[in-house]
Amino acid sequence: MTEPLDVVILGGGTAGWMAAAALVSSLPPGRCRLRLIESEEIGTVGVGEATLPQMKNFNRGIGIDEAEMMRATNATFKLGIQFVDWGFKGSRYIHPFGIHGPAAEGSSFRHRWLRALRHGLKSDIQEFSLAIVAAEANRFDFPDDRKTTLKSTFDYAYHFDASLYADYLRRLSESRGVTRTEGKVKTVERSSETGNIDALVMESGERICGDFFIDCSGFRSLLLGNTLGIEWEDWSKWLPCDRAWAVPSERAKDFTPYTRSTAMEAGWRWRIPLQHRTGNGYVFSSSFIGEQEAADALLGELDSAAAAEPRLLKFRAGRRAVNWEANCVALGLASGFLEPLESTSIYLIQMAIMHLVPLFPAKSMDPRLRYEFNRKIDLEYERIRDFLILHYHLGSRDDAEIWRYCRSMTIPESLQRKIMLFRHSGIVEEYKDGLFNPPSWLSVFLGQGLVPENYHPAADVQAQDQLITALEDLRTDIRDHVEEMPGHERFVARYCEAPPVTELPKAEMRL
Amino acid sequence: MTKRVEKVVIVGRDAPGWITAAAIQHALGRTGVSLRVIELPSLLQGPDVYSAVPPLKGLHDQLRLDERLVLRACNGVPMVGQRFSNWSGPSAPFIHGYDDQPPAESDLDFTQYWIKGRQQGLRSAFENFSLGAMAAKAGRVPTGAADPQQPLTAGYGYHLDARRYSVLMKEVAVRRGVATKTASIAGVELEGERIRSLSLSDGEQVDADLFIDASGTEATLIGHLPGAEFKSWREWLPCDRMIVASGNRLQPPPAFSQISAFRDGWIGIFPLQDRAAVVGVFDSRLRSDREMVESLPVIARLPIAGDAVVSELRQGIRDSTWVGNCVAVGEAAFSLEPLDGVQLHIAHSCISHLMAFFPVETSAFPEAAVYDRGVRSIAENMRDFQAAHYMLNRRFDDPFWDRCRDVPCPMTLQSRIDLFAARGDVSLYQSEAFAAQDWASLFLGHGLMPETCDPRVDLIPEEDHIAKVHQRLQDILALVGAMPPVDEFLANAVYQNRPEVAQGG
Repeated sequence: MTEPLDVVILGGGTAGWMAAAALVSSLPPGRCRLRLIESEEIGTVGVGEATLPQMKNFNRGIGIDEAEMMRATNATFKLGIQFVDWGFKGSRYIHPFGIHGPAAEGSSFRHRWLRALRHGLKSDIQEFSLAIVAAEANRFDFPDDRKTTLKSTFDYAYHFDASLYADYLRRLSESRGVTRTEGKVKTVERSSETGNIDALVMESGERICGDFFIDCSGFRSLLLGNTLGIEWEDWSKWLPCDRAWAVPSERAKDFTPYTRSTAMEAGWRWRIPLQHRTGNGYVFSSSFIGEQEAADALLGELDSAAAAEPRLLKFRAGRRAVNWEANCVALGLASGFLEPLESTSIYLIQMAIMHLVPLFPAKSMDPRLRYEFNRKIDLEYERIRDFLILHYHLGSRDDAEIWRYCRSMTIPESLQRKIMLFRHSGIVEEYKDGLFNPPSWLSVFLGQGLVPENYHPAADVQAQDQLITALEDLRTDIRDHVEEMPGHERFVARYCEAPPVTELPKAEMRL
Repeated sequence: MTKRVEKVVIVGRDAPGWITAAAIQHALGRTGVSLRVIELPSLLQGPDVYSAVPPLKGLHDQLRLDERLVLRACNGVPMVGQRFSNWSGPSAPFIHGYDDQPPAESDLDFTQYWIKGRQQGLRSAFENFSLGAMAAKAGRVPTGAADPQQPLTAGYGYHLDARRYSVLMKEVAVRRGVATKTASIAGVELEGERIRSLSLSDGEQVDADLFIDASGTEATLIGHLPGAEFKSWREWLPCDRMIVASGNRLQPPPAFSQISAFRDGWIGIFPLQDRAAVVGVFDSRLRSDREMVESLPVIARLPIAGDAVVSELRQGIRDSTWVGNCVAVGEAAFSLEPLDGVQLHIAHSCISHLMAFFPVETSAFPEAAVYDRGVRSIAENMRDFQAAHYMLNRRFDDPFWDRCRDVPCPMTLQSRIDLFAARGDVSLYQSEAFAAQDWASLFLGHGLMPETCDPRVDLIPEEDHIAKVHQRLQDILALVGAMPPVDEFLANAVYQNRPEVAQGG
């Protein structure tokens, strides 16, 4: 039996408690002793109120009851993200958790649709996505497990209060044996021999030794960045937003099973419906708008009364060059930051944990495990990065400085290639690990106005009238299915209604 | 003004050329793409054999080609695994079978159960837990792959007489309406980076929107184009000569290829219905062709009937596998050893990529780069799989084999080996020919024992662990027992229910 590893998690935000909950549940007892250090004086950022469908695997893995978790976090369901004014002013599309129509006759749906479009079909591709049609109708139901039915063609995620989720995981972690220590770190001790971190010295004078450190200290990146000196890779030339105003507002009438992201004069605005309130925020670039002006713009756009003063958050897009160095792995904001445009913050924490568990080290800190972990995290970050840049770069908006800049900026070669291939003939390369799947790329490409010049010749196999009929039938089928789905509001009330809120929403920063 | 790609010319030979033609005609024949094959003289020798991994069966299904017809026409025998002996000194031989990836009910691979079991004294070899390997060992064919009720499933490929299979695939292509002409290429006229036209030996000029080079290692077309130089992989795959011959038929035919290492290379025995094909690869620096021919019966431990033929073996890849309007498929793109059943899979994987990224218009071919990237990734994956046999050998004090262990691995293989050695985990990259359990069976078969395992396996109580291991052995025993022996399988395929000859259109 391996000697138990002393694992110290620094920071108790979403990342810290996700790590604690997952490690205490996935690793055998006796493999490690988990200790989490946090200070109530240091606020948490509360990463992400909107999640991705992968979240369900994470929760299932640690044995979380969905309805209970949703009640505890004021959660609602999410079928996708609606993008407003992105490709051009007045445009509107949903990036769904689901596919657009099935492949048939040896040809994928997008090529069949493109062919039909050329021959008079009037329907937008969105009409062939059950997730999108249901979202627009504010309806929700669980997908079907049987892989062959129309109702199996979508997936879902949650909107929730991330700090309530962290609280929930804290209770769960502590009940399973994680020790929590309140306090602030004063200094960090390193071994002069190996360079490994030996101990954290607390302001109280306590010296907390560890074999393995998980840095969840947020933007400060106290261990990976400050102590181990892992350099910051800056991506702000592609993702120029560096500030966000966040403000909760009262629960809105429009109880959408989707997140809304609206492009603004110097960035974009999010709107996330929860059970007790609506989360709002304006992610902007300080190079293109003043802070006050941005706050006013946000408040002017709320669709319900503000429930607190807006709070400002500062950040930079980018990441640490490696996320596991020596005996320290960083999760969440300590590892990097990508704006929440595609709700990837919690996903990145989750994936880092899920990659870490099978590679979990022993005292020897075998470097071969670290290489594999870092390779996987690199892929995750780069793929999301390209996908985010796509939103900014692709489109025809020229009514504001930021959009003119983003349209003409030089983008990563990997993304240039993707755009060029899609434009040419609707090619979307699939890849093995990481986000996003072809349906996601498809929805953003088309949603922001890039229609391929050609389609794959195999789409010509089916007789044209048969193709048109098949598509029309599918569209009707989807509408009929959605008609039968319950409303989102009713579904949430029945399945996971949260107890009434007794205190005002915490005016915390959320992203 | 854009113009659609409509006129496609394949310059090719043997099975890879005809598979390409049949697959394109099947997918695009009804869409206005016209296909013509310029057939070059065959490079196959009488004794040549194709050993093919299970995906070939999938390709046949796609082309609606009846398995019984294939087996009958090509003296085929199912290939359920490949058995490796003498690669690792005194260690026992092992069989690489083709188990299907289990459904992702749990994140924990069975390999992890086995590694931990082994650390705690489990004696039974890893291959005993592979349905494919055990079926191969028992001489039975895993026909139940489509049955969703089975706890485990495995696939099988084929041993096929190479000439006969090529003739069959030509028939299939022609019946589907592919136009063909037998000729050789007298000249390739270029226009910048494109082929303007081909001059055939009879004087005909051939032009096309897209030229497909399926000519094999000769690379008749792409070899003329700039940027398509051949890059050798000999540093990792050191053999440069190949010998083929025939021996008496093995009765009953084994369900596996027998691959034995010897002092200067390896020898494979591939059973067919009427004979056993013998294939060897070796290093010409250590053994002359004549020596090889003379020693073949001794090394193969099989009487050789008829002549043995020796030819050059070149493993490597073109710097670019698609230049201008010319795309290389099969061994014109990259070539490997006739090992691990990859021979036809080279063409098959190129065809899959070509069909996915089939060019749509003649003014530009941006598909070329994405095709090349995909083909290169899968080529390097197969190369690494073959190279691993050499790198992980444990034939100490044979200079050839000692050197194989000392050469630095390709980076991709080294990191795969490192991770497996550290944790028994297999990292998979983009486009892979082999799945995680193939690598595990290769690594463990060659004696690469992981130092630690996935910590989650320690969460499983000991009695559950033992029960799981035990259950797996029982499942395999029961499943293998219900499978038809090769003889019976062949009797059904070959002598009864004679299938219709290949369907058209």
